Amino acid sequence: MSLVLSNVDVVYGGVIHVLRSANLEVPDGKMAVLLGSNGAGKTTTLKAISGLLRSDLGKVTAGRVHFDGADITNGAPTDIFGRGIVQVMEGRKVLEHLTVEQNLLVGAHRRSDQKAVKDDLQRVFGYFPRLPALLKRTAGYLSGGEMQMLLIGRALLARPKLLMLDEPSMGLAPILVEQLFEIIGRIKREEGLTILLVEQNARAAIGQCDYGYVMDGGRVVLHGTRAQLENNQDVQEFYLGYAGADGRNRFENIKHYRRRKRWLG
Amino acid sequence: MTALVQLLIEGVMVGLVYGLVAISFVVIYRASRIVNLAQGEVLVFGALVLWTFTLGLTQFGYGLPLLASLVATLAFCVLFGLALERLVFRPLISQPAFAIFMASIALLILLRGLAQLGWTAATRPFPVILPEGGFMVGPFLINTRLFIGGAFTLVVAFGLHAFFTRTRQGLRLAAVAESHDIALSLGVSVRWAIAVAWILGTVVATCAAVVLLSGRIVSLDVAQIGFKALPVALLGGLESIRGAPLAGILIGLGEVLAMAYLDPLTNGAASGVLPYLVMIVVLLIRPQGLFGWKKIERL
Repeated sequence: MSLVLSNVDVVYGGVIHVLRSANLEVPDGKMAVLLGSNGAGKTTTLKAISGLLRSDLGKVTAGRVHFDGADITNGAPTDIFGRGIVQVMEGRKVLEHLTVEQNLLVGAHRRSDQKAVKDDLQRVFGYFPRLPALLKRTAGYLSGGEMQMLLIGRALLARPKLLMLDEPSMGLAPILVEQLFEIIGRIKREEGLTILLVEQNARAAIGQCDYGYVMDGGRVVLHGTRAQLENNQDVQEFYLGYAGADGRNRFENIKHYRRRKRWLG
Repeated sequence: MTALVQLLIEGVMVGLVYGLVAISFVVIYRASRIVNLAQGEVLVFGALVLWTFTLGLTQFGYGLPLLASLVATLAFCVLFGLALERLVFRPLISQPAFAIFMASIALLILLRGLAQLGWTAATRPFPVILPEGGFMVGPFLINTRLFIGGAFTLVVAFGLHAFFTRTRQGLRLAAVAESHDIALSLGVSVRWAIAVAWILGTVVATCAAVVLLSGRIVSLDVAQIGFKALPVALLGGLESIRGAPLAGILIGLGEVLAMAYLDPLTNGAASGVLPYLVMIVVLLIRPQGLFGWKKIERL
């Protein structure tokens, strides 16, 4: 179930050019992380795949998106969901007035095999042992970590082939982030899922990934396997936050007056 | 004392009819975030169509069996609800609330005009669909038509609630009620959900017309019930199906009590004003109503 984006351009509202010839590939059963600063086009990339661009008046104007060999460029979100592509949007989008259980069942709303849904529910509880105790709670009152578990669980109940997670670590405590990515890695291995992850917290995410893509200004500027990225000095410096082997430009070594307002000097 | 209890019984039963109309507001609001002010006119349209399929056709010598007339009316409701959604309100999705508000006022006047064009402004007898008369429980007289209508309201309220919380189809609609974006990201067709909501709302409004008008007189003025049910829907909470009958009972009780005790002192003004007084108070101190959805803010 591989995902391939070739030379994809996305324009919002007919004028705002966000993605410029973006190329990206996630092979079957692998996990890729999409890194980049704010506004680099990471979320837009996910929406171009899931079809949710439409509700933002966006459109893929050039290039193709292929999943599993089929062309899904500018497809309707409901059709793309039907192909097994599920996007978990950023910002903990739970259905806040429904219970946790109802939230989970909405994930399975297209499936009529009630027995298999029950089994899947048990598997989700295997990944997130806290969820069963919360089933009757109103989702809007969960903590941030619990919401994120619920969101991933809800997506899994749709039996996705490709799971796209948009900044699952946002606003979570570092220890929770670490646990979350361990579980995501486990889900990838045990379910054989293809996962595309958008993260600001590169250091936590990259350990579980097979591939990484770095975006800037709507382009994919760098990509490679995990090892290649981990050894790339720019990635180390800007995303992983440690100094390169030779210690060049190490943040702590730069005098404060050079660190600030570099664009003036 | 007996007179008071009799009064309260009537209040509850009338209130439940308001509740039924309020449910039709709620069903539509949940899916589409639209308060259709023309809901009273929709109800009158349903009533006039039902009249056409029963007494109207009989006048021309093509009388249908009652069941066939009801089925034909329901079929019309489905098409009518779809047409309203498709032609008037779908193009307005994601427009400011003000545009939708104005559109529903325009629709109200348009439907009133169409009803007058098609059926003239004459009053006409409505067929007897629910049994007439009443029965005694102890010393209290209970109107059979309103009793059946009230029971029907409760069945509809609890039935729809179970549908929205337990079934796959219903959960889809609940997801759409909560957020169009999230529903879309979970593969729910928002358009489908809104169309279903409009059909449901139109069917419920027509059922309310049957309860309200069976064996009585139908005229264009019946549309007033729409504005009476609006405070009920707001008090119960615009997202809450089960809140509607409860709020209906509260408003119904308030209305009969005001009618009995305050109207003689206020030249008959009190009972008419009371629901709207409640509406303003609700909007001021608890805009989400008794059971509506308050935006959950966590800090």
